[in-house]
Amino acid sequence: MTIKVDRVKEYEALLDIYEREGLDKSLFDNRVATIIISGSKIIGLNNVPGVEIKGEEIENGVRADVRIADGVELPFPIHLCTGYLKGEGYQRVEFNITVGKNSKVRFTSHCIFPYAKDFTHEAISRISVGENSSVLYDDEHIHGEGVRMISRTEVEVKAGGRYTGKFSLTKQRARELKLEMTAKLADNAVAELTSKVKAVEDDSVEIREVLQLEGAHSRGDLKSTVIAFDKSRVNVVNEAYGLGDYAKGHIECHEIVKGEADVQTVPLLRVKNDKAELTHEASIGRINEAQLVQLMAKGLTEEEAAELIIKGLLGE
Amino acid sequence: MLCLRNADYSREERRLLRGINMRFREGMSYSILGPNGAGKSTIARILMGELKPTSGRVLLDGRDITDLGVTERAKLGISMAWQEPARYEGIMIREYLTLGGKLKVEEDEIREALELVGLPYELYSNRLMDKGLSGGERKRVELASLLLLKPRYAILDEPDSGLDITAGELIEELLNRFKKAGTTVIIITHHEEIARKTDFAYFVCAGRLVKKGFSREVVDYYRKTCGRCLFVEGSP
Repeated sequence: MTIKVDRVKEYEALLDIYEREGLDKSLFDNRVATIIISGSKIIGLNNVPGVEIKGEEIENGVRADVRIADGVELPFPIHLCTGYLKGEGYQRVEFNITVGKNSKVRFTSHCIFPYAKDFTHEAISRISVGENSSVLYDDEHIHGEGVRMISRTEVEVKAGGRYTGKFSLTKQRARELKLEMTAKLADNAVAELTSKVKAVEDDSVEIREVLQLEGAHSRGDLKSTVIAFDKSRVNVVNEAYGLGDYAKGHIECHEIVKGEADVQTVPLLRVKNDKAELTHEASIGRINEAQLVQLMAKGLTEEEAAELIIKGLLGE
Repeated sequence: MLCLRNADYSREERRLLRGINMRFREGMSYSILGPNGAGKSTIARILMGELKPTSGRVLLDGRDITDLGVTERAKLGISMAWQEPARYEGIMIREYLTLGGKLKVEEDEIREALELVGLPYELYSNRLMDKGLSGGERKRVELASLLLLKPRYAILDEPDSGLDITAGELIEELLNRFKKAGTTVIIITHHEEIARKTDFAYFVCAGRLVKKGFSREVVDYYRKTCGRCLFVEGSP
């Protein structure tokens, strides 16, 4: 790995945070394709055969191109680490990811802003999944108390490709989150977008997930799980468009509300092809009574039962 | 001893239970037998503390526990396997059985409990308790959870529903296990063959206790009279 000499301390600070938060430190290994960003600097970069990461520093941030050649199958994930170790400021990162044909790759993206008090992070990702390729993109966040986060991801999945996107912000509060994910699918392409968010106090969360099922036999699943406590405000919009012959989409949204949280979910299903099929399920409200009582009958208190159920929902 | 004394239960001006008296002695097995809608599950939920009788008492070893909630009763050793076990997203069977690590049991005990209810440990311990499991599989997990808990009183609400033809053998095996552990078993059922496996039975119809005694006798009476009984819903 190439680490900028004058940035060694930041690199070590990030490693310490990985250790403290129980994140996988082996992602800093030389066998892993990695880009490590701190503020508006690229402080570490490592390429492996079949993966080429190029980065440039832009105003207040970094733009990176990640290219995966045809027929690449990696034993380790590609590691995208975006850190911001100051309390205040603004950071913008742009990732342009192109995956060739017949490849199989995983991305582990970590956004590490542990000391943020008044910080805005804007992330724009454009991901192209080549024909018959498979991409798993896991996005995990470690936030301080004051993060305003705007994240936009546009995914294009070519014929026979598969994209699985997982966004998780459950360990710390969301504060202010705008999350937008769009997936456009060609023939026989598959996409699964999952987001899990915990909102507490006066957090504000807006999630918009869109499935464009353009190709014949394309399939997509959108799944959002939000736990909204206290006075948080949550708005989830899930959209699915059935355009291709025999396209099939499913939207699932579960929101657990406690306290004075204000939560709404809006599903939008639109079919422009009589051979397409879209389905939708949603639940919004308190924790399911039967789930609680059945655990309480085994000896858990209501609070312990609720905690276990929520941990399961958030995948903690 | 666990007792229901003169328990009535009404909901939306409908009397679902009328003056029910039942006693469950330590280490014995009981069935509460009756047709659909007789009030059997309501009795189970009153014993567990999920429902409170409109009048009447629930006693445990002479202590009035009518006002105790579900958790408090579970801590006193009363537990229940539900007729329709809930689904839990993101919770593995192992976590469910150990209540998220709060129940301290050895891995071998989990293996034994799962295999006893017909779920191979390797295939099931790390599976999720979500919609990927069939109703029958969840039912088996629910029964395994009571085996691990080893309560003083295990209430099994329709333990055979949703299970395949091996259900009878499974119930028999469970009764043996619970008996060895000194657990009193209370089975809610409308199947005569399941009721016959317990020591004693209560026959309930239209919210009333019709007959009690040795299971064989009660089941014979149930067979003769059920469908022709005089207690129809709404009768005074």
